[in-house]
Amino acid sequence: MRLGLTIVAFAVCTLAAAGSEIHPPAEVTAGTAATMHTSGSGEATFYLLGPATASKRAVQAGADISVEGEELDHAGRYTAVICASDGCASANFTVNPAAPNRLSFLVHPSRVPIDSANRISAVAFVHDNFQNLVLKPEPVTFSILPKDGKPISAARNSENGVAWVRLSSAKKEGPTRLGASIGHANEVRVVQQVAADACNLRIKASRSKNDFLVETDPIRDCSGNSVPDGTVVSFTKIDDAGKTTVDVPIKRGVAKVEMPVEGRARITVASGVVTGNELEVAGGK
Amino acid sequence: MKIATTVGRVLLASLIIAFACGGLACHFHAFADEAMPRVELSTDNLGPREIEDLTSKSVPRDYALAWQTMEQAMDENRPGLLEGYWVGLAKQSLTQRVNSQIKSGLHTRYEDRGHKVEAIFYSPAGDVMQLRDRAQLDIQVLEGSKVIYEEPVTLEYMVLMTPGADRWLVREIQSTSGEKR
Repeated sequence: MRLGLTIVAFAVCTLAAAGSEIHPPAEVTAGTAATMHTSGSGEATFYLLGPATASKRAVQAGADISVEGEELDHAGRYTAVICASDGCASANFTVNPAAPNRLSFLVHPSRVPIDSANRISAVAFVHDNFQNLVLKPEPVTFSILPKDGKPISAARNSENGVAWVRLSSAKKEGPTRLGASIGHANEVRVVQQVAADACNLRIKASRSKNDFLVETDPIRDCSGNSVPDGTVVSFTKIDDAGKTTVDVPIKRGVAKVEMPVEGRARITVASGVVTGNELEVAGGK
Repeated sequence: MKIATTVGRVLLASLIIAFACGGLACHFHAFADEAMPRVELSTDNLGPREIEDLTSKSVPRDYALAWQTMEQAMDENRPGLLEGYWVGLAKQSLTQRVNSQIKSGLHTRYEDRGHKVEAIFYSPAGDVMQLRDRAQLDIQVLEGSKVIYEEPVTLEYMVLMTPGADRWLVREIQSTSGEKR
């Protein structure tokens, strides 16, 4: 009799435990809640393993398990595990990115010489609201928004979440804004277009107390754009004492330096690969 | 006499520091070599920028080191190990995962069976590279010493790496598909 009861009890327990399974939906969109069906009965532990989560909670086997959207906002592969007295069962499911609504926009370089073909690169990474990379092809609109001129736009389809273009700089110096947009996202970066090399570099000298003040004319490139402040100009003096070079940054469009001169001297100027005129001066008391 | 004592102390301190640093360097070297995941990089379909020789060596090396540190962080629940090779969203997600594991009393063990990595995008400015990784892993999730989940899988990841001061760093990693082996 006792043996019979034991067998019946064992059979009931085995039947109850054997059914512990979990069935999540095969695919979920990032940030949306999901319900997972379970089978079996009795107390159990539910584990959710994902790219940014490894949570655990007590559940009732056989009842549905609700998982909040916040727990499923990272795209990728998830595993749902249910452990009851008879052991653990698991199932995998995928969380897919939501609709594209964010962009990471990289523009290089931030300063570019004018009139340079394909020197600017603009790369956009397409993300959803949860920063997941959206891998399906999506149209990204790139725009050039000049300071005084009509905007120009071009659309490119993203591939594996990336869209990119190469752009040429304008013939005129100054900042230009580059934009990329998708959904509600609109990112803008500013690129400073600067004159490339000085053209017709010229210096003049005037006496200043015991020294000579050597000064350039306003420094421009061959298209008439001002070479940016900070560009280094080198003044070289050769006199009886030897050779002296002074590097001076352009300030308000010109570069100037005071040089003491003993006897006769030759002063030359250069900026980058460009050389300018040469002056012969005579110093002394 | 006083000067001689001071010099002696300085020399002794220097020796101790030198030994300690040497030992530490050996330790890190050993750690780096130990169980470094195998990463094979293919650049046949890479564009628009051509990969430089040095980059073609440093990307697989740094990606392997990133995985090595991640696997150790997940097993030992030490988010600090993610400092070296992970940045941005990738580091944020993994740190969340490790902290979540700590809270739940779980840890994850990886048996890394290698990565077949295809470089698919290298930006014109050379500031970002996109990789597709097909990783073979044996994953085991444990609660204390009890295994709650284990599976040999082949997982596909989409990865974004960016150059840091002296290495390439994993900025984004997203699993895109997975199947049981």
